[in-house]
Amino acid sequence: MANKSESFAVSTTPPTGIISDRQIVILVSLLIGFILFFFMLFPLYSILKMSFLKNGHFSLASYYKYFRTPRIARSLHHSFYVAIISMIVTTILAFFFAYALTRTTIKGKNIFYTIIMMPLISPPIIQALALILLFGRNGLITAHLLKTDWSIYGAWGIIISEIFYCLPHALVILYTTLSAVDTRIDEAAESLGANAFQVFWKVTVPSAKYGLVSAAALVFNLTITDFGNPIVIGGNYNVLATEIYSQVIGLQKFDMGATISVILLIPSVAAFLVNYYISKKSFSLISGQARPFLRPSRMWKKIGFTGYCILISACIILIYVTVVFGSFVKVWPYDWRLSFTHYNFPSIGGYASLWTSFWIAIVVGIIGASLTLVSGYIVEKAKPKGSQLLYLLSVMPAAIPGTVMGLGYILAFNRPYYIFYGTPWIIIINVVICNYTLGMLSSITNLKQIDKSMEEAATSLGASIITTFTRVVFPLSKVAFMQTFIYYFMRSMVTISAVIFLVSATVHLAAIEIIYLDMDGRMGSANAMATVIMVIVLSFLGVVRFIGKKKFSSPQMQQSSV
Amino acid sequence: MKRFFIIFIALILTLSIGIVPAFAKKKLVVYTSLETDEAIEYMKIAKKDLPDIDIKWIRLSTGELGARMLAERNNPQADCIWGWAVTNMEQFIPKGLLVPYKPKGLERIPARFKDPKGYWVAIDLYAAAFVINTKELAKRKLPMPHSWADLTKPVYKGLVIMPNPASSGTGYLQVSSILQMFGAKEGKEDGWEFLKKLDKNIGQYIKSGSKPAKLTAAGEYVIGCSFAFVYSQLKKRGFPVALQFPAEGAGYELEANALLKGAKHPKEAKRFLDWAISDNAMRAYSKFKLGVTLPGIPGPKDLPPLSSIKLYPMDFKWSAAHRDQILEKWQKLFLK
Repeated sequence: MANKSESFAVSTTPPTGIISDRQIVILVSLLIGFILFFFMLFPLYSILKMSFLKNGHFSLASYYKYFRTPRIARSLHHSFYVAIISMIVTTILAFFFAYALTRTTIKGKNIFYTIIMMPLISPPIIQALALILLFGRNGLITAHLLKTDWSIYGAWGIIISEIFYCLPHALVILYTTLSAVDTRIDEAAESLGANAFQVFWKVTVPSAKYGLVSAAALVFNLTITDFGNPIVIGGNYNVLATEIYSQVIGLQKFDMGATISVILLIPSVAAFLVNYYISKKSFSLISGQARPFLRPSRMWKKIGFTGYCILISACIILIYVTVVFGSFVKVWPYDWRLSFTHYNFPSIGGYASLWTSFWIAIVVGIIGASLTLVSGYIVEKAKPKGSQLLYLLSVMPAAIPGTVMGLGYILAFNRPYYIFYGTPWIIIINVVICNYTLGMLSSITNLKQIDKSMEEAATSLGASIITTFTRVVFPLSKVAFMQTFIYYFMRSMVTISAVIFLVSATVHLAAIEIIYLDMDGRMGSANAMATVIMVIVLSFLGVVRFIGKKKFSSPQMQQSSV
Repeated sequence: MKRFFIIFIALILTLSIGIVPAFAKKKLVVYTSLETDEAIEYMKIAKKDLPDIDIKWIRLSTGELGARMLAERNNPQADCIWGWAVTNMEQFIPKGLLVPYKPKGLERIPARFKDPKGYWVAIDLYAAAFVINTKELAKRKLPMPHSWADLTKPVYKGLVIMPNPASSGTGYLQVSSILQMFGAKEGKEDGWEFLKKLDKNIGQYIKSGSKPAKLTAAGEYVIGCSFAFVYSQLKKRGFPVALQFPAEGAGYELEANALLKGAKHPKEAKRFLDWAISDNAMRAYSKFKLGVTLPGIPGPKDLPPLSSIKLYPMDFKWSAAHRDQILEKWQKLFLK
């Protein structure tokens, strides 16, 4: 570790210029580099060490054991199966949805867009909760309307949950791609005599190929690393992310947990690299060209796509209605009287956990937004030597699954001298680091829009770099700052996978309480907790919007999704 | 701009106050495997009886609690364990994670409910029981099961749910009692053959010992292998459930308290452990538990009296000594 930071220091030696400013930039970059190093690479290193070392010697024994234990080894196959099917289905569904929103003249585009984005602000297990109420072994639809013994637990439950969980993420990418590609090519093809299907298959789809690959890779990454939905609806169907949890938390097999973590890292990093490489390529294709007028779509096309959008939107709304309604029903599905009993949370954290989650989310928002803004400034504007390394470190967190990061934190920091262990601070640090990529990318996007001449003017007027940053850059980035803040706030309120390893007797988080309530067989209260979290996030967004008088709106934020 | 920054810093500072642990009160960290519902009620009384201690606690399943203690052995986060299966406790004494402590009033607890060296003292006893969803049973026109042997009948295929013994103390006591019944202590394999027959009817092995009952109540399964106290909770909440103790004899387990080695708040922990076997605490337990270890306190009204239940005479030392071996074999056979 000492080695690496040394080389970092050497590479950032200032050549010339105003020494004090340079020094400040270097100091700050070193500090951020150190934070990322210590809270991201060090935990990862601890995992690698745990999985490869046996009694101080290099050994593949854990890997051998992994592949020799059929039940555990199956988790790899399960993960791929679930991730690949979810990836294909989600990408196709999202593509047609994006197509409808960008290439047709259907009505209600804004409403459709808002609805499909809803999963972004809710705890990521809400899909699984709703599916169990509707299609569980005693689900409303399966057991009571269809009277079948079939239930959704297992692979299909996970896949369907993941599809609805990933739809908004895939849609954002495809929406951006489809609205950026020049539609005049489609028209040209049409006037040359191609029919609608030919245009679609030979022109539209190929022109969106980068977006498709990028969306598919993102969905694959999200699905293979997701923990919440599989743990709730997987039943006996174990995937890599849940197997890490059961090995570590249930059975105390840290070496096996670490081994599975490394195995999970491989597909997740690969998907991330594909996405990263492709999105760089595809963005170079997007030009600022004028967007031609969209010709009114034909009647059948309009009806078809409107129907399609309504169908998808209805499914999403059904998920929310089921969960909210389920939180009020006395005894689902026996006693349909409505009551507030489930809101008397029979969990340790109870309402206090909501408060803890709330202020942790605020602190995460402030620290995360500040840190990513400063690193964005360094990478995009100050550009000291070695800033590329800082950039690389900053985008890495998106490649690391939450469960892996969580386990890494236990392995790395559970020592008496790390006084932050077992306090809320370790959770705050973890959430800031886990979501660093998006925060950083959105800061960069925003900083790119600030004209360099502004800073140059400030500098030539004798302003130091600190003054330039606080008086020029920061005020101009206020909107971006608020957006990153909101992003971090939302993530922090709903995140589960990493922090489930870090909650302790002293810190209870609301999103984790949902899992505990569900594990405890308290479905009603799990729904109630999810509902309260959504209400809090929505009202917070409302308040921020109101204060910012719509200046700090968030759609931009979603657009910058990796 | 400046004002913005000042507000900003002020906000961080205010919020930080929430993060800094409350110094005014003495802190205590307790880990427990007692069910969340009951533990919340007991804690209300504990907080009243020990008003100057800020008790922080977390509920973990029996296996998870052990896992966490091991994980934190270099840096213990908890001070004491409250209501944890004695079988697991016995395993942790040789590992050196516990220190003996004899709480006030220990002499009132009968000798079979405490460790002679003072490592642990039990507060209650809970027994394996079947929770049956009567509505689902009637709907499928199935007979009421009375014994483990009944549960292996083909009519219940896929309708029985059982806890995973690796993570659940209830699950382990069920498996261990079945093995002991079939003479595993004498080296016979019949118990495993029986478990294989039972496995054909099990719909799912689940992490916690109470969840089989809860899922059964919700109609997801018809018979949940669980324990008695969940039943009374579910009945009160209006679920259509019935209770049966296995006719072969119900396996049971003691839940006990202990002081952790390296506790950061030993003084508070000892006061809490004293409280945990006090009259007030015992009376609170007796509202939920099948039986408490302090003689003379009657059990809950909605459960049959302990004396009327046929308990299987469990050998905890054997259970503890063979736990790892049994779990490994069990997982190999039944976790697919």
